[in-house]
Amino acid sequence: MFKTVFPYLLTGISVGGQYALIAIGYTMVYGILRLINFAHGDVFMVAGIVMVYLNASGMPLWLSILLTLLITVIIGFAIERVAYKPLRSAPRMSIMISAIGVSYTLQNLVLYITGGLNQFYPKIPFISNTVSIFGVNTKMVTLVTPVLTAILVVALVQLINHTKIGMAMRAVSKDFETSQLMGIKINSVISTTFIIGSFLAAVGSMLYFTNYNTVIQTSGSMPGLKAFVAAVFGGIGSIPGAVIGAFIIGICENIIKGLDIILFKSGITKQNLGLATFSDAFTFALLIVILVVKPTGLFGEKTTDKV
Amino acid sequence: MSENILKIEHVTMQFGGVVAVNNLSMEINKGEIVALIGPNGAGKTTAFNCVTSVYEPTNGQISFLGKPIARNHPNKKMKKIYAGTHGEDFLGHVIRHTPDQITKLGIARTFQNIRLFAGMTVLENVMTAMHLRRKSNLFTAVLHLNLAEEKEMRNKALKLLETVGLLELQDEMATSLPYGKQRLLEIARALATEPKLLLLDEPAAGMNPQETDELSAFIKRIKEQFDLTIFVIEHHMNLVMEISDRIYVVDFGRLIAEGTPAEIQENPAVIAAYLGGEEE
Amino acid sequence: MTKINSRARKPIKWSTIISALIILLVYAAVFIAEQTLPATSMLFTVLKKGATYALVAVSMNLLNGFTGLFSLGQAGFMLIGAYSYAILTIPVADRINVYQYYNGGLVQFAMPVVPALIVAGLMAALFAFLIGLPVLRLKSDYLAIATLGFAEIVRAIFQWNKLGALTNGSNILREFPTFNDFNIRNAEGEVTLYLSTLVPFLIAGVCIALIVLLINSTYGRSLRAIKDDEIAAEAMGINLFHHKQLSFCISSFFAGIGGAMLAMYQSTIQAKAFTSAMTYEILLIVVIGGIGSVTGSCISSFLFVAASEWWLRFLDQKQMIGSFEVPLLRNGFRLVVFSVIIMIVVLFFRQGIMGTRELPDLFRRKKTLKQEVKA
Repeated sequence: MFKTVFPYLLTGISVGGQYALIAIGYTMVYGILRLINFAHGDVFMVAGIVMVYLNASGMPLWLSILLTLLITVIIGFAIERVAYKPLRSAPRMSIMISAIGVSYTLQNLVLYITGGLNQFYPKIPFISNTVSIFGVNTKMVTLVTPVLTAILVVALVQLINHTKIGMAMRAVSKDFETSQLMGIKINSVISTTFIIGSFLAAVGSMLYFTNYNTVIQTSGSMPGLKAFVAAVFGGIGSIPGAVIGAFIIGICENIIKGLDIILFKSGITKQNLGLATFSDAFTFALLIVILVVKPTGLFGEKTTDKV
Repeated sequence: MSENILKIEHVTMQFGGVVAVNNLSMEINKGEIVALIGPNGAGKTTAFNCVTSVYEPTNGQISFLGKPIARNHPNKKMKKIYAGTHGEDFLGHVIRHTPDQITKLGIARTFQNIRLFAGMTVLENVMTAMHLRRKSNLFTAVLHLNLAEEKEMRNKALKLLETVGLLELQDEMATSLPYGKQRLLEIARALATEPKLLLLDEPAAGMNPQETDELSAFIKRIKEQFDLTIFVIEHHMNLVMEISDRIYVVDFGRLIAEGTPAEIQENPAVIAAYLGGEEE
Repeated sequence: MTKINSRARKPIKWSTIISALIILLVYAAVFIAEQTLPATSMLFTVLKKGATYALVAVSMNLLNGFTGLFSLGQAGFMLIGAYSYAILTIPVADRINVYQYYNGGLVQFAMPVVPALIVAGLMAALFAFLIGLPVLRLKSDYLAIATLGFAEIVRAIFQWNKLGALTNGSNILREFPTFNDFNIRNAEGEVTLYLSTLVPFLIAGVCIALIVLLINSTYGRSLRAIKDDEIAAEAMGINLFHHKQLSFCISSFFAGIGGAMLAMYQSTIQAKAFTSAMTYEILLIVVIGGIGSVTGSCISSFLFVAASEWWLRFLDQKQMIGSFEVPLLRNGFRLVVFSVIIMIVVLFFRQGIMGTRELPDLFRRKKTLKQEVKA
């Protein structure tokens, strides 16, 4: 039993860590702008494509990694300045539509550049290596991801709780207007948020695509949506919530992927039920359930509307 | 003797640690004009919001025409941590009607910060408020088989607009009207729901002195014309003293005085609250 | 009093009559073009797909533009409609071929087209009712993500091989009646009267007309009130949940019919094609046309389809001017140009083509326009 479940659990933890890195970007942006940044998953995908092209240009790997991080951060920053900043006083629906427009644009741009073909992700030494744990063969990245995620999250929480910009971020997410009146430079806070979000998405993309080997223009939408669900699940605006949500979703999803085999091998079912079809759907079912039962998520705060 | 139309008993409304309305009890009789006054932030609008069920009171009972519209849960189930000052009276969490049911029963209101339908004309704003008294169903309405009813609605809306003096502006966008006229339109819209009790939240705010003078005559006139009971929150003391039969005064969520205009003007607690008493 | 009575009935305005005439002319033009131009012309592809998208876009606009509900579940409801239609109309004799892995499938009867269309709409509305119970109580952005999630769940369910006897699993459905089957043929099989474009126009036209009637009824006013201000609407006695549910079900009903029309247009369907990208595309059509304008959604549907299927096709191929090769042109460039146009509309022309104006508004006297500017 353990032997059948373990590989899925292992992948689940790894994917969960990668979702966590994306989910932080969603939860931080939502916390401050009250915007579902539909383009965030595509920023994650673009980071993958950038890495592919930089590596193909023949530069050393360490340089392409650094440049990928830098370029992704610039893209994230630019998206906010071009597509969201002009709409700051517009209705919520407009800015959400703008986010969908950016997502559409990024996907089409990548389609044009790559010709719509699967791009093979470069092998990053060490994390692409195969290791064996309890008799299960897996890539090193599976082990690295949770550790790296934990380090980055701790660093981020330190940043938010103990630096001036972190304090400004917390203030803005509590009360946008008042913090503006208190002299907080709202635009630089928002930009910082997007920069941090994009940086973490770029790190996440390196881990994720090392695992999955190929990138295509639609690679970002599903992980993006799932990471957002993770953010909602954990309580939107809460970073620990997003991380825990992401791990839960990553693990559940991979267990479901392997559920047919697990059930078959353990003798519970006699035939293949095809439950793997529902590995994506499960995430959304979880979303609807959590929204109905506890709309504020696991760690979210309740807000009251004033009349 | 007149019967009471609205009865508020021990209502408390608490937001987190803030007790916005604290153990408020009051009665409004049929045909009266009753004013609720108090300094800013005293909990007046919150009291309105409890009556119209925009908020769920933390404790207490509200009855309209003798029937409860918000009351404590009969099983005395505790829902929230309760920090009011009359803990021993606490009966459990409050169950209530939804705001639209309250309006159907016959309580209509206006809003302190005007809430007209911005995308609609003046006439459409009033007609929208007649939807709840419709006799047509989805089928007849979509296929426009209810032309007689539509015509009747339109006539009634136009009459209401004439009453408030906005007939000529019927095709203007509601939000293009000047502030004072928007307040009148809100009253016309509230009247369109055919209320028995009308709640006016600072109807004179933003009006010039002349408009304010006209308003008191206007309020008395619609009271007679539509056979209303009126419950009003207002800061213009001249207006309040002129129109009210009785006045309730709240401060920091508590009722501090109750009486006729003459009594209230003499009441030391009220004077202290308005001038800023020493206990602060 | 007399003054009021004289103005009480809405007079039938010239602008309405002119609009009705224009719509009639469009239908006549479609009919004549179909009889005279070769059936293979790109124009008909655009018109058929455009009519389909117009219906779906208007149904989405009913939610987003007129009720203020930001729903992203349209592709899911289209899928339900398309599958319901296909499953109910595949001729019994063809079922053994279509459902080749499932012994001809579960359903062993075939319905005529029109009842099947209505059932397709009703199925979508039924699903909308069920999903609406929990999600319509959510606030705007949560509603968006929940409906998007719902569409993904539907897509997974329809691909599940355990339901294959009904849905054919992840395999395609085909052989159901398509738009071309509306052409009238003589005994030799030659077409005597072309109707394959006019019929989709008629279906979409009737559905859109019903939506317009709804918007202009007392129910429509209530929906717009909810969009403008939920708290005020509720205070005016409008039951929020009931009316949102109503709008959601009606929108889904027509999205379902739109899905069935898409099936007829494509002649084969597969669940995996109904992705959230499809919903986004429809949303962008609504935005380009103007959120809150039925006319805008219709115009932009045809523009969008014409541009993507026809006018901008050249951007996807190498073009030579003399011996000079125009740079950048290759597969996918069309979509890039498209995206840029959309972003420009979203950022700088937020009103879209029509704003909230409708066809008759274009023929009103200038006075109303001035008033709008003042407002």
